[in-house]
Amino acid sequence: MTTPARAVPGARAGTTRRPPGYRELFLQLDLVRLVRRGFQDMRTRGRLIQYLVGTDLKRTHADTVMGQVWWLIDPFFQMAIYSILVTVVFAKKIPDAPLFLFAAILPWQWFQTSLVDATTSVTARGNLIRQIQFPKLVLPAASTLAGAVTFGFGLVSLLLLYIPYPSHLSPWLLTLPVIAAVQYVFTLALAVFFAGVNAFYRDVQNLLRHITRIWFYASPAIYAVSALKGSVFGYVLAVNPFTYILTSYRNIAYYGSPPDWVGLFSVLVVSLVLLSLSIWLFKRVETGFAKIL
Amino acid sequence: MAPPAAIDVEDLGIRYNLHLTRRTTLKGSLMEWVGRRQREDHYFWALRHVTFRVAHGEALGILGPNGAGKSTLLLTLAGILAPDEGSIRVQGRVSSLLTLGAGFEMEVSGRENIALIGAFMGIRHRVMRELTPSIIEFADIGPFIDAPVRTYSSGMRARLGFSIATAIAPDILLLDEVLGTGDEEFRARSQQRIRELVARARAIVLVTHDLNSVAEYCSRSVLMEKGSILYEGPTLETVEFYKDRVRKRKARLAEEQAAREAAGLPAPVTLDEIAPSGQPG
Repeated sequence: MTTPARAVPGARAGTTRRPPGYRELFLQLDLVRLVRRGFQDMRTRGRLIQYLVGTDLKRTHADTVMGQVWWLIDPFFQMAIYSILVTVVFAKKIPDAPLFLFAAILPWQWFQTSLVDATTSVTARGNLIRQIQFPKLVLPAASTLAGAVTFGFGLVSLLLLYIPYPSHLSPWLLTLPVIAAVQYVFTLALAVFFAGVNAFYRDVQNLLRHITRIWFYASPAIYAVSALKGSVFGYVLAVNPFTYILTSYRNIAYYGSPPDWVGLFSVLVVSLVLLSLSIWLFKRVETGFAKIL
Repeated sequence: MAPPAAIDVEDLGIRYNLHLTRRTTLKGSLMEWVGRRQREDHYFWALRHVTFRVAHGEALGILGPNGAGKSTLLLTLAGILAPDEGSIRVQGRVSSLLTLGAGFEMEVSGRENIALIGAFMGIRHRVMRELTPSIIEFADIGPFIDAPVRTYSSGMRARLGFSIATAIAPDILLLDEVLGTGDEEFRARSQQRIRELVARARAIVLVTHDLNSVAEYCSRSVLMEKGSILYEGPTLETVEFYKDRVRKRKARLAEEQAAREAAGLPAPVTLDEIAPSGQPG
């Protein structure tokens, strides 16, 4: 096992230094190797990730009377609150509002809790990081996967909602795993980034609460995209990945139409680029975790 | 050149960024970054210019006062910290017995924790499954093994931690003074197990304050101070050098104090008194 120190640029005083070219600068970033190593970390430590997901799921609601049933109850309460807010307080006339809202709020909840949990996943394991050497990338990966499993349970409550609104059920609902996969890649990209940065700056976990709240209202979760057409906010929606993700969910679950394939594909491409960049950043700073936690 | 060493440390340096600690805030960092103040005094070198080798079959003792960098060195040998300068080459599987119960997942059972920590340590699933019965037997915590770890006493946690950490005999054993936990009976068993590991390890690094027992395990020792190696040689010589150094230092301090008292000044408070004796601390 060899662990050479990373070359410190400019460390060799005395030799004449000439400004490095773009090629050299790029090579110094070590982008390709680190990203490949990152993916390798997650693949070879599958078993560890699996155990972590298991303990994560066990920990939430571990000492509650109703235990796992909360996974069904939590999203229902959310949906009920927003249904009342939208239809009674704002007096919007949305047919079958509960299903309209639930189709978007459920995936949004998944995104938000995953991101918040994953952000603290590294700092929460400070003890272990100072005692065992392991690829830290498994922590945000497991955290977001646990969120995905919870989302899977939440889907049961979505299916239950078709009992009062059977007319919305369509075969397009079967494309849900595709949309969820795109959303997962996007979530993982952000989760890895925030988990890495939060180890150094705990401000991130506080900041994130506000970011996600603003993001929620800037996404078509409790309103339709058409509601903002032509206004300035229309541009915000256009660059917000969740516009395409939530629209796709709502299409298949509420309107019975196909998902926004083009939008989803664009989000996937952007997410993969973001994921590579955040894995690179994470791998760069990973060696420092043991020193500061 | 000597035959390939089990551990080969060359010009090792570990550096801590004093401005990037637990309490760093974004605001502070941003202001620093905007001010572009990247000076050398932001760093503290916990280790610097450390070079040594441990041959196959050798046990090396590491002595030194608190804050000398002994634990940092062990963390680096274990691969937990990466060198900022120089290099470390280690041949074979390293295990530090630092893993005494920290990192347990409180809400799940002891049995599940065995699997989880095994996976963290990178031990193959099948190997871990075979080892589990003997780990449980050694920890000897009875039916608690299937109860959540949060219900354990601290002694039970330590026993389970020790049992997991020592389940696999490493090629290179790093010991940080953990030579026994728990009650008399368990301590005797754990001493026995450490002796087994010591006998099977290809190389050992032992960090200790116990100047009496270090000679029992290690033929050669180094003395560290302020992040560097001060003396290297046969253990008895190193211990002698260390004791001598402490004696001189104490004498000098006493002298200084006498001079101060003579001049009518109050006695200074010394926080960095070094205390090598039979007991740790």
